[in-house]
Amino acid sequence: MHDLPQQLANGLILGALYGLVAIGYTMVYGIVQLINFAHGEIVMVGGFGALTAYLALPGGTTLWLALPLMLIAGILVSTLTAVAAERFAYRPLRNAPRLAPLITAIGLSILLQQLVFSFYPDAKKARVFPKIPGDPFSLGSVTIQRSDIFLIIAAPLCMLALGWFVTRTRSGRAMQATSQDPDTAKLMGIDTDRIIVMAFAIGAAFAAVAAVAYGLRSGQVDFRMGFLLGLKAFTAAVLGGIGNIYGAMLGGVALGLAESLATGYIQHLPGMSLFGGGAWKDVWAFVLLILVLLVRPQGLLGERVADRA
Amino acid sequence: MTTTSTETTPVIPLPARAAAALTGLGALATAASAGLSWTWTSDFPGDLTYTGSPAGLQWLALTAGLLTLVLLLAAHGTPGLHWAAPTRSHNAVLLAATGALAVSLYSVTAISAELGGLANLEPGGWILGAGGILTVLGALGLPLDRRTHVPLRILDRRLFLLVPAAPIGWFAAHAIPGDKPVAPVMTALAGALAIAAGAVLLIQLGHLANTWLRLGTVERPLPAPRQLPSWVEVLLIVAAFGLGLFAITFGIDTEYGELFTGYLLLAAPVVAALAKSGLIARLRALTVKYRPVTTGAAFAAAASFPFTQTSDQYTSVATNILIFATVALGLNIVVGLAGLLDLGYVAFLGVGAYAAALVSGSPASPIHVQFPFWAAMLTGAAVSMVFGVLIGAPTLRLRGDYLAIVTLGFGEIFRITMLNLNGTTGPKITNGSNGIPRIPDLQIFGFDLGKPHTVAGIELGRFSNYYLLMLLVTALVVLVFARVGNSRIGRAWVAIREDETAAEAMGINGFRLKLLAFALGACLAGLAGTVQAHVSYTVTPDQYTFAEALPPNSAFLLAAVILGGMGTISGPLAGATLLFLIPKKLEFLSDYQLLAFGAALIVLMRVRPEGLIPNRRQQLEFHEAAIPAQPTGEPTALTKAGA
Repeated sequence: MHDLPQQLANGLILGALYGLVAIGYTMVYGIVQLINFAHGEIVMVGGFGALTAYLALPGGTTLWLALPLMLIAGILVSTLTAVAAERFAYRPLRNAPRLAPLITAIGLSILLQQLVFSFYPDAKKARVFPKIPGDPFSLGSVTIQRSDIFLIIAAPLCMLALGWFVTRTRSGRAMQATSQDPDTAKLMGIDTDRIIVMAFAIGAAFAAVAAVAYGLRSGQVDFRMGFLLGLKAFTAAVLGGIGNIYGAMLGGVALGLAESLATGYIQHLPGMSLFGGGAWKDVWAFVLLILVLLVRPQGLLGERVADRA
Repeated sequence: MTTTSTETTPVIPLPARAAAALTGLGALATAASAGLSWTWTSDFPGDLTYTGSPAGLQWLALTAGLLTLVLLLAAHGTPGLHWAAPTRSHNAVLLAATGALAVSLYSVTAISAELGGLANLEPGGWILGAGGILTVLGALGLPLDRRTHVPLRILDRRLFLLVPAAPIGWFAAHAIPGDKPVAPVMTALAGALAIAAGAVLLIQLGHLANTWLRLGTVERPLPAPRQLPSWVEVLLIVAAFGLGLFAITFGIDTEYGELFTGYLLLAAPVVAALAKSGLIARLRALTVKYRPVTTGAAFAAAASFPFTQTSDQYTSVATNILIFATVALGLNIVVGLAGLLDLGYVAFLGVGAYAAALVSGSPASPIHVQFPFWAAMLTGAAVSMVFGVLIGAPTLRLRGDYLAIVTLGFGEIFRITMLNLNGTTGPKITNGSNGIPRIPDLQIFGFDLGKPHTVAGIELGRFSNYYLLMLLVTALVVLVFARVGNSRIGRAWVAIREDETAAEAMGINGFRLKLLAFALGACLAGLAGTVQAHVSYTVTPDQYTFAEALPPNSAFLLAAVILGGMGTISGPLAGATLLFLIPKKLEFLSDYQLLAFGAALIVLMRVRPEGLIPNRRQQLEFHEAAIPAQPTGEPTALTKAGA
């Protein structure tokens, strides 16, 4: 148990990453009740956008200058993709039966993956993403990779900014109103179409931040990275209570912690010696989702809401 | 409310007789060209150099030409041909003519592109091309059912900015020196821009053509059929299924991609033409009248497939189609009837396959037992069902969307778990990525399915045996689907799919019925999995993924159900056949297969969400706006209050 602080730190960092992606699911779901399966691919596209910016800069540019530019490019690409997807794929189906937009989302997810796979140069294999150079930091018994610093700073900043936006600005309050009751919000003069686009865009911007963090962490981006990350992030959103933006972050952290603790300690439980380690962490994350759905289906921070027909 | 008034006028103003003569002449030329040589060299696949002996694409041209001719004569009321076009619609002629044009243009283009230039065409090729064009020109001059007015739709004007942007992007990409690491990325971006601009122009062109053609979707009344003795009607059904078997066998047996493309290009307009002419409606009326005969004929046709084959090569394709189609039909219970979106369905197939492999007596299985096949089948189905209940019970109480993500997760976790149970990262059960190889062939009552057998003078190979076995499983699944779908349970499923709250208010136990649907679907997939394990000798985790270029995988299964038509039996069977054959036959597509698949799903959801063979109820649901308002005597205030 001596490495518990380290495992907790790993879990927190991983959780922050899940939380950033989960925001995108939860915001869209909160407003249009759609699971945007393609959100994982929005993350991936953002990662490749950032990579493109890095490639376009002259070689040897310091990362302090490159990182903001990469971030901007990533946000630009993923936001444009998400907004275009909303406009051309989801909006025409807004009044269609429930299954139709879900299937569109699956199609979109496969399409985006394959577009990058087929047309981004050398994207058939993972592409190298820059890492922040230097030794890891040590705080007592905890070591933190230098690249994770980005995530540690960016995730809370993003959350604070989002919290401020949703509660303090006119658009943010319009968003809350739309998620509570779109029809009434429309009657009150809120342009709900604009709000929906905004939800997609904010989710996509957060996705791009997460993508850059992911790239820095693992030193690579690949066309498949969005699938499992998206699945986990959705799990995090459900865990925290879907539709609740604070819940998404909390769920992300809970999932990250659970995953890292399971990786570290499950093999020490009696009879489980063969089920520990990194190979099983996805399985445990999934088992956690099933358990949460059994015990508290509305999630940690969610309220039990009546089914809207 | 939109009212569409219609008229019967030609698109191209031609004298009626001239138009008919032109169509007939073109159709004759297309058909006759099949007997001539199209090209001088046998380099083009199929060897189209002979005069007087049609081959490959030439058979397609012959079919297209003759069908157009028959429909034309029937539409003009030629005595003795009334049966061919009960509605006497000229639109059917135009559709068949489109098929002729598609085949002829495709053949001419493929020949000149592959051999390098139009110079490679022999006179037969020229006649073919001219015939196709003349047929369609003539058919456009026939009196067609059209809408009187179609407003011109113009796309969002901002989209047209893409058109000038494309060349700018192209120049920008070329301005970057090629040695910069970003250069290939810019080229790819410029390419994407060009494709987007092309798509915008193409869609706008489509709208323009629609406004010009104004072809309506008028359903002509079907005159009452002539009274025939019942044995003739039964014979007609048998003949129709025989013809269907022939058409499908032709598709499965196509040996090269060009022929399969031509086949698809012809098949789509021909089916549409037959529907317009009223023949399909006639056939449907007959099948409804003689349901047992129809079912029998369908299975007899399917069962006689191995007897039409000289080698086992295409029987293996057909066996895999059957497995894929059966699983799709199982998924249709879950998705189509009960409305539960299952994104990890292939995992249940995997559970069944792994269960069967473990008890098959394979030397690689850690359990050294060999169950007889019936026991292995029951084991596979039961284990699969247990997993279905385990996954379904916690999630089905919640909103439907949760199920989608939990099943997606389950599909992924199943694969990861099978990979991990390899002895180093977990207990040694499944051999990890190597899978369980050398699964022995089945022995049923001393009948070895691995060995060829001779039936009625025709040798049936290993895959033929499995094909016939799999057909029995398919029959079982069809039976279950039909019986359950029409029962109290099936109606309850549909009610839950339409509106769960209302259904529960009517006394339906939503959770229990949803769980039943989910478990039944899992069980049927497991059943198919047990056969699949033996057919493919080896089970590996990579066979059971979410999206992969080759079916069956969860995304393709779902697509088969949706493409075919949710809630019907024939829909998923047709959808699965198409989705299996297209990647298999068109290998030049292989790099962009999944790309096209993703795009097709999006387009399909916008254009025809109800699928190819729609359930009547679903079709109405998806096109509520297009249903003409019912004239009612009720005061409107009442209906408003009711809503």
